Parts: sequence; C-alpha cells; structure tokens
Amino acid sequence: MSNWQYKPASDHALPPMKRLRSERREPGFLSWTAHRVSLRLLRWWLRCYNRMELVGTEHLPRQTPFVVVGNHSSHIDALVIAAILPDEVVSETFPIAAGDVFFEVPAIAAFAAAIINALPMWRKKVGRHALDDLKARLRSGECGYILFPEGARTRDGKPLPFKPGIGMMVAGSDVPVVPCRLIGAFEAWKPQTLFPRPHKIRIEVRRAQVFGTVPDTREGWNAVSESLRRAIFPEFPEPPAKKPEKADAATPPPPAAE
Amino acid sequence: MSPGLQRLFDTSGAFSHPATIITLCAAGAGILAGLVSVPLVSHIAKNADAAAEIRTRTLTWMVIAPLVLAPVLAGALWTMLVVCVLSLLCYREFARVTGLFRERVVSALVVLGAIAVTLGTVDHWDGLTAAVQAFTLCALCVCSVVPDRPQGYIQRVALGAAAFLLFGVGLMRLGAMANDVDYRPLVCSVLLCTQLSDVFGFCVGKLARRANAGTEPTRLFPRTSPGKTLAGHLGALALTAPLAAGMYWLTFRGTTLAQPGHLLAMSLLTAIGAQMGDLVMSSVKRDVGVKDMGALLPGHGGVLDRCNSLLLVAPAIYHYAVFFGGYAKDTPARVLTGAWFHSP
Repeated sequence: MSNWQYKPASDHALPPMKRLRSERREPGFLSWTAHRVSLRLLRWWLRCYNRMELVGTEHLPRQTPFVVVGNHSSHIDALVIAAILPDEVVSETFPIAAGDVFFEVPAIAAFAAAIINALPMWRKKVGRHALDDLKARLRSGECGYILFPEGARTRDGKPLPFKPGIGMMVAGSDVPVVPCRLIGAFEAWKPQTLFPRPHKIRIEVRRAQVFGTVPDTREGWNAVSESLRRAIFPEFPEPPAKKPEKADAATPPPPAAE
Repeated sequence: MSPGLQRLFDTSGAFSHPATIITLCAAGAGILAGLVSVPLVSHIAKNADAAAEIRTRTLTWMVIAPLVLAPVLAGALWTMLVVCVLSLLCYREFARVTGLFRERVVSALVVLGAIAVTLGTVDHWDGLTAAVQAFTLCALCVCSVVPDRPQGYIQRVALGAAAFLLFGVGLMRLGAMANDVDYRPLVCSVLLCTQLSDVFGFCVGKLARRANAGTEPTRLFPRTSPGKTLAGHLGALALTAPLAAGMYWLTFRGTTLAQPGHLLAMSLLTAIGAQMGDLVMSSVKRDVGVKDMGALLPGHGGVLDRCNSLLLVAPAIYHYAVFFGGYAKDTPARVLTGAWFHSP
C-alpha cells in the first residue's frame, strides 16, 4: 500500500475568478464532465459539418507530458486538435489561449476554462513568469499542451513566422512535441466571418520531435521553432519574413492562440 | 396536488414562529453591527486592516444570509435543495483540499449519492435514504476496483466514504428537518446556534487574551487548532448551550422535547457538536497543510469553513428529535414515489 498523496489542487487558495485565469488551474469534477461532454459533441460536429479527416493517427501522444503544435489559421484550430486527441490524454490536455482575448470577460473565461479546458497565456501583462509556470507544469509530467507557435491567427491564409516561445518551453527537455498541419481550417472560419462554414478540414499529424539535446538558450529556442515550422510547412524551407524585432528584447514573445 | 406535495411548496406561517423571527433579527442585527463597526474601527480605533476585514466579512454575510434563509422561509423543497447545494459545495472543497477530486469515479459516486439522498429526503422515504447510503458505500468499494489500481485503494475509498457520510448524509439531515410541518423554527435554531458558537468562541477567546495579556493562554488542542484557547472553548460552550436551550424550548413548546432533560441534552449536543465539527475540519486542514478549505467566501475562506460547525450538529439534533420526540412522523411519506408504487 502506498501513502495517499494529500496534494491539494494547485489552484486551491484562489478565489473563483482568479482561479479561472490561473495557469495553475486544475479542472474539478463539474468542468471535467462539461469538457468531456462538449468534446464528444464537438467531434460529432466536426465529422458531420466539416467532414474532418485525420492522417497520421499513430503519431498522436498516448501519455503526458507532450505538446501538440499546429499552424494557426482560425479560432477552430484548438478545438480541432483537442477533438483528435485520444481519450486517455484529453482531460489532461490544455489548449494555451491568449489571456487578453479569452480570459478578460468572466463569461468567456468560464466557457474557455470549462468547455475548452484552456489555460491563459498573458502576453502583455504578466510576461515571462507566466511562461515559466506553464513550463514547470509541463515538465512535471502531469499535462499536455496545444500550442500555436505563430502566436496569432493568419489573416490572409499565409503562414506567419514561428516565435521562439515553444523553444523556451521544451528545449533541453524530453517532452515530445507533435507537429500538426491543419488544412482547410482558414476557409472553414475566416477572420472576417462570424460563424464557421462547412468547409472540409484535414489534419496531418507528423512524427513527434524531442529537443533534449538542444541548448536552453535563445539560439536553441529558435532552432526548435524552426524545426517545427519545417515539419508543419515542408513546402516552405525558408521562414517567412519577420517584422523587425526590438534590439533589447530579452524575452521572446510566448506562443498563444489568439 | 397531494397534501404531501403541497406541503413542499407551502409558504404559510413563514414568519409566525418566534424562533424564526429571532433568527432573522439576529442575522439582520449581526450584519448591521458589522456595517456600523467598520467606520468605528477605521476612524476611532485607527485600524484600517481590521476595518477592511470586518467590511469584507459583513458584505459576504449580506450575500450568504439571504441565500440560506430565503429558501428556508420559501418552503420545504427549497430548504432541502439549498442544503443539497451546500453539501455538494462542501464536498467540492473537501475533495480539492485532499486531492480526492482527481479520483473521478469516487467523486461521481459521492455526488450521485448526495443527490440520491436528497431525493429520498424530498420524497420523505426513509427506506430509500437508508438504501442509498448503503448502496453508495458499497458502490465506492466496488467501483474503486474497476481501474485495476490497488495502490491507494483503501485511502481513496475511505476518503470517499468519509466525505459521503459527512456531507451527503450528515449535513443533509438539515434538509431532512424540513420534513416536519413546522420545520422552520428547528432549522433556524440550528443555523443560529452553530453560527453564533463560532462568534462566541472568537469573542470570548479574544477578550480573555486581552485580560491576561503577557501570559501564554491554555490551548485544548494546540496542534489541531492553535488559534483556539481554552477560554474560547468554554466561553462558546457557556454561551451557546443556554441560547440553544432557549431556542429549542421555543421550537418544541408543548411537546415531550420541551422537558428540561431533553433541552439540556440537545443544547449540549449543539454546543459541543459545533466545536467538534470545527475541530474535525481543523484536523483535515492541518493534516493537508492548508489554512482554509477554499476561497469562495471573501473574508471567511471556503463554504466548509462556514459550515463545519453544522456537520455534526445537524444529524445529532435531527435524530435526537426523531428518536425522542417523533419529529416529522405525522408528515405524509413518499410524496413523490407513493403515486408510482402503490402498496397493497
């Protein structure tokens, strides 16, 4: 008989609203149930409405920790990736969403937390320690993340440059990163449209990559994000042109789905 | 609608009993005293932190007092439902503090068990309630085998069973009190006495410390509850017991339970049970290493921090009243299922 781990919820002492907005949030029984039920409905919806097609099922993670990364072209992306994950890891998988978009308004925050199981990434207000919290949680082995290294949705369907935040999270660790290519998601829900359209969505899951030997430095982070970019967009061997970065930027902007 | 069902929604006589009126007045007076003391403490005593804490606590009371008392006044069904919600909230905090919430099957069984006990209570079918209790405990033992994970089996089943008995069964007896025709005085009396027991203990302990400044106060349970002194325990007992005796005398006037022996027993059960419930939850908190059971009620901590004194008092007083006074025996039983299952 092993001793019971009296481990209170990581978000135990937080009041309700702070708990929703915390990177430490652990879903309780109610939100777990809501998430599982909504995921079932979502799978059914995507199969019927968007004729979802999945290629590369064998590469999907079967145990935590892991990170699934994808190209970001619409609000539906995180839902599509969550929907294809195996049942055994789906409850421990958290899409990382932009805090300033999904966690400012209480009703939207409750929806994002309970239904999507999203965790916030506070891009402007909090800075690097938020990323460190997420990184520590991932490396503790208890969860998996869904991330979009582009950091924002493409507005014209063309891929955006990958930011090095994903590298900060996994460089020097044995956490497998699974690249996914989403095709048709942009057409299914363009930024200019209010509701998703019944456009076919195809997801190609690539072989997982591990960056245990990559140094946890800025060069290492860039190498990680570039490696993942090439896995997702093999037809673009060269990265798209970046906007000029500030010379004194010590902390690369973290990846978060907008 | 059958008389049994009508009784569940009956609002008549909500304000007719002195015990109910006293409880409502006490709640109002407490909130008023809190509001008045904020500027006094802030400006006269020049203690901004204490004033801010009193303000937060009072504002929280202004929300939770109506949330609990309004359903009690509105009818028996609403009383039972609000107690069910209270039980589930208490379980949620207990599970999150002990880590039991990660055991989804155990959590599901405790929640379903508590809801089924509520159904048995609303139906006023003691047989169903007893069966649910037995089956839930059996289900906890059996379903915990299914994941084929013997490590920690005893602990998760024991924690689940303890949680179900404390919140799903024990606390639900407060809702079961609403099965009497005139339930409001007893529910109000139990609520008032248990909540004031905490206040009495805090105030007497504080006064005694001030009076004996410089000397180390004696503590009954220094490791379990280091903040509570012997003076506080005795003060709470000395003030809660007479208050409870008076409230129960008002509640049970004209019945066998109004005899001095019964009043003494029930008042002691209330005064001691309230403190023991508090100590039970303090033990859980010390064992796990947390300060509060939650953060849902600003200034108070969690719902369980506010309800801990009810946990043992509610079942003790309910069963005492049923056993010695025939409480709720004249109310129609099986108000829901009676229409479906006709006895020959």
